[in-house]
Amino acid sequence: MDPYLESMQNQTRRAFLQGTGLSLGAIALSTLAGSASVSGSDVTIRSATPLEQRSPHFAPRAKRVIYLHLTGSPPNLDIYDYKPELVKRSGQDCPDEFLKGRTFAFTTGVPKLLGTPRTFAQYGQSGTWLSDAVPNLHGIADELCFVHSMYTEQFNHAPAELLVYTGSPRPGRPSMGSWLTYGLGTENQNLPGFVVLISSGVQPNGGASSYSSGFLPSVFQGVQCRSKGDPVLFISDPAGMDRKLRRRSLDALKQLNVLQSQELGHPETLTRIAQYELAFRMQTSVPEVMDISQETEQALAAYGAKPGESSFANNCLLARRLVEQGVRFVQLFDWGWDFHGTAPGEGLQEGLTNKWAATDKPIAALIKDLKQRGLLEDTLIICGGEFGRTPFREGRTAASAVLGRDHYPDCFTMWMAGGGIRAGCNYGQTDELGFGVVENKVHVHDLQATIMHLLGFNHEQLTYRFQGRDYRLTDVHGRVIEELLG
Amino acid sequence: MLHFRSILSIFLAAAVSAAGQSSADEIDFNRDIRPILSESCFFCHGQDGNKRQADLRLDVRQIAVDAGAIVPGDTSASELVERINSDDPDVLMPPPDSHRRVTPEQKQLLERWIQEGAKYSGHWAFEAPQRPAVPNVNRVEWARNPIDRFVLSKLEREGLEPSPEADRATLIKRLSIDLIGLPPTLDEVDAFVADPAHDAYEKLVDRLLGNPHYGERLALPWLDAARYADSNGFQQDGDTWQWLWRDWVVRALNEDLPFDQFTIWQLAGDLLPDATTDQKIASGFNRNHLLNGEGGAIAEEQRFVVLFDRIDTTATTWLGLTIACAQCHDHKYDPTTQRDYYRLMDMFNRVPEVGTPQFFSTRIRVDKPYLELSTEANNQTIVELESKIAAAMPAATSADDAAYAGWRLGFDPAVKTDKDLGFPEALTAIHNKSAGDRSEEEKNAFEAGLRKHFDEKIRPELVAKLPALASLEALKKQLSDYTNDQVPRVMVMSDDQPRETFILRRGEYLSPLEKVSFATPAFLPSLAAGAPANRLGFAQWLVAPENPLTARVQVNRIWQYFFGTGLVKTAEDFGVQSEYPVHRELLDWLAVEFREHQWSMKHVHRLIVTSAAYRQSSRITAEHLARDGDNRLLARFSRSRMPAMILRDWALAAAGLLDARIGGAPVYPYQPDAVWESLAITKERDFTYPASSGSDLYRRSLYTFWRRTVGPANMFDAANRQTCRVRLSNTSTPLHALTTLNDPTWVEAARVLAQKSLQQANDLDGRLTFAFRQVICRAPTETGLNMLRRTYEKQFAIYNADAESTIKLLSVGASQRDETLDCAQHAAMTSVCMAILNLDEALTRE
Repeated sequence: MDPYLESMQNQTRRAFLQGTGLSLGAIALSTLAGSASVSGSDVTIRSATPLEQRSPHFAPRAKRVIYLHLTGSPPNLDIYDYKPELVKRSGQDCPDEFLKGRTFAFTTGVPKLLGTPRTFAQYGQSGTWLSDAVPNLHGIADELCFVHSMYTEQFNHAPAELLVYTGSPRPGRPSMGSWLTYGLGTENQNLPGFVVLISSGVQPNGGASSYSSGFLPSVFQGVQCRSKGDPVLFISDPAGMDRKLRRRSLDALKQLNVLQSQELGHPETLTRIAQYELAFRMQTSVPEVMDISQETEQALAAYGAKPGESSFANNCLLARRLVEQGVRFVQLFDWGWDFHGTAPGEGLQEGLTNKWAATDKPIAALIKDLKQRGLLEDTLIICGGEFGRTPFREGRTAASAVLGRDHYPDCFTMWMAGGGIRAGCNYGQTDELGFGVVENKVHVHDLQATIMHLLGFNHEQLTYRFQGRDYRLTDVHGRVIEELLG
Repeated sequence: MLHFRSILSIFLAAAVSAAGQSSADEIDFNRDIRPILSESCFFCHGQDGNKRQADLRLDVRQIAVDAGAIVPGDTSASELVERINSDDPDVLMPPPDSHRRVTPEQKQLLERWIQEGAKYSGHWAFEAPQRPAVPNVNRVEWARNPIDRFVLSKLEREGLEPSPEADRATLIKRLSIDLIGLPPTLDEVDAFVADPAHDAYEKLVDRLLGNPHYGERLALPWLDAARYADSNGFQQDGDTWQWLWRDWVVRALNEDLPFDQFTIWQLAGDLLPDATTDQKIASGFNRNHLLNGEGGAIAEEQRFVVLFDRIDTTATTWLGLTIACAQCHDHKYDPTTQRDYYRLMDMFNRVPEVGTPQFFSTRIRVDKPYLELSTEANNQTIVELESKIAAAMPAATSADDAAYAGWRLGFDPAVKTDKDLGFPEALTAIHNKSAGDRSEEEKNAFEAGLRKHFDEKIRPELVAKLPALASLEALKKQLSDYTNDQVPRVMVMSDDQPRETFILRRGEYLSPLEKVSFATPAFLPSLAAGAPANRLGFAQWLVAPENPLTARVQVNRIWQYFFGTGLVKTAEDFGVQSEYPVHRELLDWLAVEFREHQWSMKHVHRLIVTSAAYRQSSRITAEHLARDGDNRLLARFSRSRMPAMILRDWALAAAGLLDARIGGAPVYPYQPDAVWESLAITKERDFTYPASSGSDLYRRSLYTFWRRTVGPANMFDAANRQTCRVRLSNTSTPLHALTTLNDPTWVEAARVLAQKSLQQANDLDGRLTFAFRQVICRAPTETGLNMLRRTYEKQFAIYNADAESTIKLLSVGASQRDETLDCAQHAAMTSVCMAILNLDEALTRE
């Protein structure tokens, strides 16, 4: 934000507090009144209420996002992108034209082409090709919008993932969820605006950088809600202090702070009081929203969720509970999609079947649930990995009975559903062997631009001045793919 | 909020005049015009040739005049004026779709500037600072040193009064936060408050500047700039030994190593003649970067990522320039070209590094070059292991020889054979000859080859079967495991592998264009004649008197450290897009003072903290709020929330828990479960958090292990230690409150502080006052004390009736509880201390 404006806002806020006799009511008022907006690249951030709701550049098609990241990158050729020609030529040497001058993560020499061992068929009115790995997506194919022509430049996990989330392969820039909460604030001040849920026990490759606020104020950082231990770090009162005691102790703190603000006259002291009151409320609202045991048996069964477990299914259900409560951006990371074939769990046959068995059911349940609650129309769901996988067998495991594919940046599939996308769409095409995009290339930055557009932002205008330059999610690239919009 | 916009416009008017430009003043190109041109025009009409439209440059006067865009003295003939005022969207500049806009006030300024002759001047920060005259002021008696004369002169011009001096308890707390980051003892507070000496304050400052914790405190912002961490980042996130560099920084600051040397050592210590170990370690500044060891990482590609990071970090830290853009194209605003960028890169492109971290143990991954610095303890262990190996050797050797002899019995080497014995080719070739046909040379080679073959292929299989060999091998492995995992290897710089450097098309390492060699950016002074064209020459150039940036950038960051905001607010950017300094002359005066005072950092720190400006009260008046809400003019002191690292130190020290040892290997204090454990690729290394015990739990935050992929959980708002950071955010979220309320660190500190207060005094008021003062320094007011007492009494009633909760609360943390104390009293006091530690005043530097 313009430093000049920032200073103006601080002054204004202070003057406002001053004018209303430094009352706590003023803070409460400013939390409730959500008339701030984003005009051009100026985002009004008031330090007392940095997460208050803001209106974007234009009317949004989606108001919130659930991003399902399959960490490691699922093999598109065995799930979404059917290549009969590759099946025909399976086992042949990979043609030189695809290898010349290229480096792959774990493959050297001349690998063998690998047709999918999966069975594909067409589903829905859209006639979308899907494999038997994702049986629960078959019935909702018409809700989804597939982009088969995604590409990136990165073929190592962490840099590729950082590119997807921050627009740059190096750590240090704000992530998509941070940009959007920076631009939009959030609907419920008693919960974090940007929540991260992690399943299969492992952080994304990029670590916390994948949901970092980078150089944006840290209030826009993704907050990991955990299924073990404290749902949010340090949210539980210490042992030996229950809610009643905490309330009393906060009351004392409040009184002393009010006394201090009277003695010293610092308006920031009132901001401090508000901060502690909000923390107190969050201590109730976070555990509540995270407690899926309050869901009906049917709901739990539909998602395959089990209270007390740490699973992707639980996280899908939590995602719904969170967006329902007004959380702006829910980011799921699910580990275990790096199908190299180095172990049976990483194989394209049984491994892929098992992995999806724990995944496609909750995804389908989430989409149906949101639809039934009327939330799907303004909730954007995005699902995919950070790059593609090779149409040939991975070098290290070429002799194994378990089939696997190497990392591949040139093409991969992602899909979206919900708010403002063209449901039942299959956009972009790869060549007959799946080595490159032949129609409608979509770079990661283009997808980001499109997501921003759906949320009501001109991606070139939601910027933040840092080190003398106006930064944005899409770096200096990106264009909105109009064909994906509903 | 309905009032918001209207209030904004009122203050907009007020602030325009506060910012300096009033209509009677002469137009200053740098202050008034360049920001407008830079913001609205240079993107297409600046120095980036690739983006330039219509061949027009507005950053070079002659070109702008030749093109008719500007006709000095004649606004009506100047196309620029016509364009910015046009109603025709095809003519209007900036174009409507650029989303840039020139405001009516800016248009007026541009027109006035052209009318008055369109005088250009170079960007102020690119011209070497000269020491300006210290201004005359009315209230001479207020000024304690020249800093104050500059500050006061501006205040007097604006008709603002400086604030009275803060009270002594506030001053000692403020100084302690800023100079050592630890609270004073109550005796120290009392002595200072009561000290009648005229130089009581200065004596305190000198004492704190000489305190060894000074280096720890002042190191923090430097570590943020240096993106210092204890691991590599990315997927494997191997641990490093860079803490040896961190310890050097603390030492150098404590010794007040002059900043020119501080600079030269860190950029080129390894290149100094007869470089000492410390000088080499210092060069580790440029090895604090991330390293990606992912399976598919291409070393050369990663090496370039490291090179780019080195340039960005060095440029931001010393020059206050953001030049990363020039990796792909000429900078849009600053005169940094792509050529400049790669010419700079050439000085870093000589390091014998791989680009990816090398495996030493599952824990340790570092890249070459590094210094191996075994400690006394290391040497002792190594000697012990070596002597065990020597002792095991005779038995092993005879077992070995016996085994070899036995193996040889299995065939007759002297007899020619066609049987495949699995020998290497050369050996087989000789063996295939009969003994008589073998030359002397072949015979010797054959004997040696046999033994080699035995040692390499046969022996390993025998080891497990022969106890003497097995124990020797186990010892050898123990030794190598130990040295790989436990001998410090701090990464440093070296120029031992010069390479050719090319401009890279769009920054892609596989797309070299023209070859370049090292030079300083063309728009800045060139290297001194005869200076070495390497990092050393560069470092010397940075601290040469004609360098316009280094001294200014540093004193600005020092100013930012003490006052919260730099004289140039954009501390990371002194380029043409930067903020024009509020006190340009003060900045230049300080820069020259710094340089001419042997670059002594302590000298500048002392100057600042002994100024009247620094000693002011932070109390805000209605006039302050209305006139200068952000306190850029310094009519009062700026209060700020302490950094989380210092908050933790403060709480530990106030409780008497702090282990104040300086330096050494990182420690692992309390951290919630599953923060590290959930890091990626657990199969490649063990990410179990190796929690510390004993006094290591209470070391200063500086020593907490900093894992690059997930920083310490309780250090909110900290720099991410991934890229260079010279300006920190200071935000306020409920999550911060939850940390200082619920993290066992703070709960335990409250419990131990409570215990201490119960031990210190026998009456409640005395106990409450003690605890309050330990944290806040000043004594509570009577009203405050009444509130504390009431809180205590309520909490006591509750805990007295709830033995279970009482014990639970008193069991938080590892330190021993004084079991002779009454539990309910202790728990109630703990609860009060938690409130005290969370008071706004406790969290804030007043």
